[in-house]
Amino acid sequence: MAGPLKQFEVNALVPVELGGVDASFTNASLFMVIAVLAITFFLTVSMRRRSLVPGRWQSLAELSYEFIAGMVRDNVGSEGRRYFPFVFSLFMFILFGNMIGLIPYSFTPTSHIIVTFAMAIFVFVGVTIVAIIRHRLHFLSFFLPPGVPVVMAPILIPIEILSYLSRPVSLSIRLFANMMAGHTMLKVFAGFVVPLGIIGGWAPLAVDVALTGFEFLVAFLQAYVFTILTCLYLNDAIHLH
Amino acid sequence: MAGFGLAFRIGVELVAALVVGVGIGLLLDNWLETGPWFLVAFFFLGAAAGVLNVYRAASGIGLGPGYGEPAEGKRQAKKDNGDAPT
Repeated sequence: MAGPLKQFEVNALVPVELGGVDASFTNASLFMVIAVLAITFFLTVSMRRRSLVPGRWQSLAELSYEFIAGMVRDNVGSEGRRYFPFVFSLFMFILFGNMIGLIPYSFTPTSHIIVTFAMAIFVFVGVTIVAIIRHRLHFLSFFLPPGVPVVMAPILIPIEILSYLSRPVSLSIRLFANMMAGHTMLKVFAGFVVPLGIIGGWAPLAVDVALTGFEFLVAFLQAYVFTILTCLYLNDAIHLH
Repeated sequence: MAGFGLAFRIGVELVAALVVGVGIGLLLDNWLETGPWFLVAFFFLGAAAGVLNVYRAASGIGLGPGYGEPAEGKRQAKKDNGDAPT
């Protein structure tokens, strides 16, 4: 029987080496490509007919568009409109990465911290650049809240900077840990089903069925949390204080 | 399960700042060869930043680190629901 952590192993499918760096096309890359293709397919095919009264697929596409558009409007305001394409792509990629990982025998790219951290650091650097472009040196006032006595500044500023720097770390750990914990738990319970036999095996099987349903919730919720935090960081960057 | 999610989110906020603080401390110590002093200082700064993150996450100020005032619609939604989304 495969161990519960076996599912997270990264295997090189097409070994590639670029200037001494291992840039192989792995199963993680494969499932990220699948996620991107699935999103493209889902959005283009469902919007092909463009009927006034939407069918099932068209309503799904419109629903996801309106969900993110509403989130950006509510959390960033009208100035956030130009960042909508980025936020929408981010949400769809994480959602599809999480959901495709729930199909048996597939691989979950978002259960790897390097994938989530790459996304989080991209958001972090992007948001910081937006803030610096919009506010120039006023951006630095972000680290000293208004109304703080000057005596406190030497202690407070390092704390604020650390708190700011911890954003990409908490953003990536949250998504990765949720996905990894859920998938490990599923596998651990699944491992009990056959050894306990036809009499006792039903209990872990029932737990697995319940957990699978719960995992769908987590897959959606974590994509939502990642996206809404991105929106809030954008809001911070656009309207300092 | 909403409570579990909230607890997990706040736990991550606490640990993340500590990780960043300890990491910076270790890097500075390695670079300047100053013994454990930067590690000690940044450990406490990181812990303070973690507590600050938790305080902000728990009191719903921008749902995380930062002071961002919620945008107009959000403020309205907050008034209607009486609660921030998790």
